[in-house]
Amino acid sequence: MGRRATPYFLILPSFLMAAFIILWPLYQIGQISLHDVNRFGMLREFSGLANFQALFADPDFLAALWRTLIWTLGVVLGTLIVSVPIALILNDDFYGRSIARVIIMLPWAVSLAMMAIVWRWALNGESGMLNSGLRGLGLIHTNIEWLAQGSTAFPMQILIGILVSIPFTTTIFLGGLSSVPDELYDAAAVEGAGRWQQFRHITLPLLRPFINIALVLNVIYVFNSFPIIWVTTQGGPANSTDILVTYLYKLGFRIGKLGEASAVSMITFGLLLVFTIIYVRLAMREEKDA
Amino acid sequence: MKTIGRSVMLMAGVSLLACASAQAGTVRVTIAEYSKGTGPYFEAAAKAFEAKNPGTTIKLEVVPWDNLQQKLTTDISAGTNADMSIIGTRWLLDYVSQGLVTPLDSYITPDFKARFIPTFLSPSVMGGKTYGLPIAASARALYYNKDVFAKAGITEPPKTWAEFEADAAKIKAATPDVAPFGLQGKEIETDVYFYYGMWSYGGEIVKDGKSGLDSQAAIDSAKLYKSFIDKGYTEPGVTSYNREDVQNLFKQGKVATVITAPFLSSQIKTDAPKLNYGVAPIPAGPSGDQGTYGVTDSIVLFDNSKVKDEAFKFLDFLFTTENRTEFDKVEGFLPVNAKEASDPLFADNADLKVFASLLPKARFAPVIPGWEEIAQITSNAVQKIYLGQGDIEGTLKATAAQANDILSKK
Repeated sequence: MGRRATPYFLILPSFLMAAFIILWPLYQIGQISLHDVNRFGMLREFSGLANFQALFADPDFLAALWRTLIWTLGVVLGTLIVSVPIALILNDDFYGRSIARVIIMLPWAVSLAMMAIVWRWALNGESGMLNSGLRGLGLIHTNIEWLAQGSTAFPMQILIGILVSIPFTTTIFLGGLSSVPDELYDAAAVEGAGRWQQFRHITLPLLRPFINIALVLNVIYVFNSFPIIWVTTQGGPANSTDILVTYLYKLGFRIGKLGEASAVSMITFGLLLVFTIIYVRLAMREEKDA
Repeated sequence: MKTIGRSVMLMAGVSLLACASAQAGTVRVTIAEYSKGTGPYFEAAAKAFEAKNPGTTIKLEVVPWDNLQQKLTTDISAGTNADMSIIGTRWLLDYVSQGLVTPLDSYITPDFKARFIPTFLSPSVMGGKTYGLPIAASARALYYNKDVFAKAGITEPPKTWAEFEADAAKIKAATPDVAPFGLQGKEIETDVYFYYGMWSYGGEIVKDGKSGLDSQAAIDSAKLYKSFIDKGYTEPGVTSYNREDVQNLFKQGKVATVITAPFLSSQIKTDAPKLNYGVAPIPAGPSGDQGTYGVTDSIVLFDNSKVKDEAFKFLDFLFTTENRTEFDKVEGFLPVNAKEASDPLFADNADLKVFASLLPKARFAPVIPGWEEIAQITSNAVQKIYLGQGDIEGTLKATAAQANDILSKK
């Protein structure tokens, strides 16, 4: 064995272990999704794509698929749009900056499920903080039942999703900003560039790779994020706030259709895989061009 | 998926560990957590049992109700399930049809059988064999706020829905801040809350293998509930209130009535001791029909258990009058043991007496495959009706067709 092979040989055990941990469950889910399976996960006969066909004939599934796209786009784009200015502000040197940073980061330390529970209380129509706040400001006069219908519940859920994704995203951006040398701004200022021009031509291009990372990670994370929707509405009323992962949970563990639930899982896996591959290729090409 | 996947892995890991440490004479029991008293009660019972039966160890796993079905599914598919478990009796058919649970008939002596109130034992009997024992039992009745009723000049709880409607108008006029009818529209048992009305109009969930959701009774009941919503007789936004939420509204005096289980009385004792309330039967329909929902949870013995004899011995111990009385005292459930029912705790309790008197008419979730799915689509239909999406008859008919589809499949 040559010298060159040694590093690969040393990596091999952990590589195999990682592959096993990642691929084995995937193989199992694939198996379940292609079989007729009882509610305890015991495989019966091979059924081909029957589980997938059943899903695409189900209007609730299609609605959940569509809603998942809105949810992901809404939360991820919303988070990016809010996080960039927050990161810029926190990157500036001002009195009390460290306190401000801590405040922004704190929600990250709280479990997502607890955050969702607190929001469920806040959105309560009868005694919720949001209604009493809005009433105090004179904006509304009768209580709004935020979680009683999808048309108010879903936008609120997206809003909560954005709020809880800000700390992580801001942290990535702060890391990015700290790597931008101050000399660039000084030079630009000498050339007569204003704040906006500095942002457009210096900050944004240099932040690009970090926005890419935040985008990919947030898409994957938000797409599959369960607690906010589950805790606030369980996908209800009448499936009107279901996204794929809550729909999957109901299919699998409430109704006991594990075959179809696994099929949903494979579909989300496929979608995210395709998205990631396309995005990584685009981002890499950009880097080469740059 | 991340969260689910992680907890599934975690549970599988935990059960593997439990399995490795199991040895002959160890009985593993999965316990559903009803309240914070559940764990301590079973620990104490297990200790007492072990003291009487040296050589047998009882290992308890206490699981929150919400995660029970998920845990059992995972454990069973991995082959690492406990020897016994508490399950919802409405799930039992699935377990029996897959051959997962063992009939207890060879263990049950006539003496043992005589301990039970037959209404509660019968839901676990399938094809003449007894597959489970009723570990918990409950029924539903109408709680009403006596002070609110008095303010509206009403002295008696309503006996029929017609009376209820007249009373609701008076309550609304006398106390505008109090909604007359606490209506649940979210999460578990949303469908059941609708059945109370449907049963009293003479409907059935399933009759002769067909869904009863398109029956006149179902339509009448849906119209009744919807009219309550439209007239402002319910709390606003019913689809954002689950069972606990509606119960809390009742405890806070914000709704005048709520239909729920005996455990609300024990909650009121600690949470709202000043609340002046009464318990009455659920109002009857035009032809005098009345409905209450009977619920039992069963404790079952898994077929792959290697310690069946020891396990049944523990069951025998759990179902002695003493132990049952203690358990129901802790949890606020109805007695399943006939002797227990004469204990002063139950015999002198006015609230529980009402519940007990309703039992002969109690209906249980039908024993049919696909029941959970039918419950789910029924909840969805009911929510659509409450929200005023689509017309009532069309929604119910479409749901009945879907339910018939599920019923005919298996």
